Amino acid sequence: MRNPQFKAIRFIELLLLISAFILFLIGTALGDTFFLRLATESLIFGGLAMSVDLLLGIVGLLSLGQALYFGFGAYLSALILKEISPSFGLTIVIVAVASTALGWVASFIALRSKGVYFALITFGLAQVAAKVVYNTRSLGASDGMMGVPIVQIWTPFGELNAGQPGIFFVVTLVTIGGLYLLLKYFLSTPMGSMWHAIRSNENRLAYVGYQSKGPKQFAFILAAMVAAVSGALYPMLRGFVSPELMFFSVSGNAVVTVVLGGVGTLIGPLLGSVLLTSFKSIIGTWTTHHHIVIGLIFIVIVISAPKGLAGLLAKYYGKQDSRKGGE
Amino acid sequence: MLESLQYIYAPQIVNGLSIGVAVILMALGLTIIFGLLDVINMSHGEFYAAGAFISVSLMAMGVSFWLCLFLVPLFLIPIGFAMERLLIQKVFHYKDRHILTLLLTFGVAMVLEDGYKIIWGANPIKPDSPISGASELFGVMFPNYRLFLMAFGALLIFAVWVLIYKTQIGAIVRAAAYDKEMSSSLGIPVMRVYALTFAFGVALAGLAGVLLAPIYSVFPTMGRDFILMAFTVVIVGGLGSIKGAVIAGILLTQLQSISSLYISPVWSDPLVFTVMVLVLVFKPSGLYGGMKNA
Repeated sequence: MRNPQFKAIRFIELLLLISAFILFLIGTALGDTFFLRLATESLIFGGLAMSVDLLLGIVGLLSLGQALYFGFGAYLSALILKEISPSFGLTIVIVAVASTALGWVASFIALRSKGVYFALITFGLAQVAAKVVYNTRSLGASDGMMGVPIVQIWTPFGELNAGQPGIFFVVTLVTIGGLYLLLKYFLSTPMGSMWHAIRSNENRLAYVGYQSKGPKQFAFILAAMVAAVSGALYPMLRGFVSPELMFFSVSGNAVVTVVLGGVGTLIGPLLGSVLLTSFKSIIGTWTTHHHIVIGLIFIVIVISAPKGLAGLLAKYYGKQDSRKGGE
Repeated sequence: MLESLQYIYAPQIVNGLSIGVAVILMALGLTIIFGLLDVINMSHGEFYAAGAFISVSLMAMGVSFWLCLFLVPLFLIPIGFAMERLLIQKVFHYKDRHILTLLLTFGVAMVLEDGYKIIWGANPIKPDSPISGASELFGVMFPNYRLFLMAFGALLIFAVWVLIYKTQIGAIVRAAAYDKEMSSSLGIPVMRVYALTFAFGVALAGLAGVLLAPIYSVFPTMGRDFILMAFTVVIVGGLGSIKGAVIAGILLTQLQSISSLYISPVWSDPLVFTVMVLVLVFKPSGLYGGMKNA
């Protein structure tokens, strides 16, 4: 069962885990803040990209408005932390529950449509939500909300203080890693097979006696939840939220990340996010016009390697396998 | 009653119509491109911005606004043609080409938008209105330029309709949309028709940009706000339908401008969007079918 795709995914998982470990060790030893926080941010946006990939790469639905749920999670998290209690666990649980409800409601609107209509509706939903937030005084309007307190994280071994970049990096890694494992688990269930079937040929699913509606709705809600929980981590890292989090550029960036890393692999988007975030921060020191470079890379990838980096890696393993087979 | 109609509704209706005409021009390009190629052009808004920017630069060089109305589409046609040939054709034969072409045009939009920032800067530019003054209509003053915009836009929309439904060129385009293989075997250069249609749609977007530049300011992300309305119009009207785009364009922009008398303009977008959702709930393919059914 060790096909090239499996090998590529395993390789990226190990690569990310080992780099995270090394970064944590070196970062804490040197008292670094910048790189640890950058890595944390890339994981957070990686979580958003993962939710896009669940829809696009697994179920075959292109969402152009996943930032809606990301922003929802971020705003709700900021509100809870500021108004109720700076507790990590409580915030994550409330955001997960609330975003599941939001995803459930939105699924009735978005899943009325397929293909390009779905993409445009999700785009529109997010755009409208962003406009409303942008103009709502009580949510800080265009300024967003500042002054989110540092979260307290309860663990069986004692309270952790997220103010330390190393600790919050690990917390984010565990949270996003947990979401990744959750999605991987669902992929291994019959539900996961249904998702793949829907992507391959939705009409034919009915011929073999299955309804595509339920699994699609489940995936949509799950994706909303993953995006929102990732978003909930954002104000914990940055201490503020702004309506920009809901803008199309965030949704669009997530799609770029997915395509760059590898559609349908779930881990590819995380890799893509790490690469893109570092790339932006490196190139950002020279020029503010990084979009033009990223856009060009994106165009080249869509045309020449639609499966992204993970796809290239899988191709490499595939060649290696066939060479071994020939000996 | 009559007075409120005259002084409150009439200006709002005229404003709505002048925006509506521009939205319809955008929507026409989108819907024609989709009707023929099955491509959602995410960079359509950026070509609208391109039209506005090029006209600003041309006018700065002393070219008159009226000449821009011809020159800008003329500039954009080869660009659109090349984009279809060099980029879209590359992914056109994959199974999930809907998504791939959408992603591709999205990438183009990213590059263009940043390109505008580099060339023209991020600050809004406000070109002078080519027609100044105002005229009295039904006892209310309307800016002349808006009146011109409506008349010219209506003429243009009519011309597009004639082109698609009453000429041989239009027949070729519709035939290619209806059955690619059959048209090809009848000797229609389908690939060139694809590229030219794409270029035509892009040129329409650019023309809308030239026309609206004097009303709104010109800035790199100007296409993004506008494109949502155009997409909404196309969806409500039915992807690929010209009639649908015109009718939905008028209805939705009127809804937007009249509703802003009663509710904050912030909420008029959600209202328009709700209409779109309702249409999709009851008639998922929009009010009218595709170009093939016309």
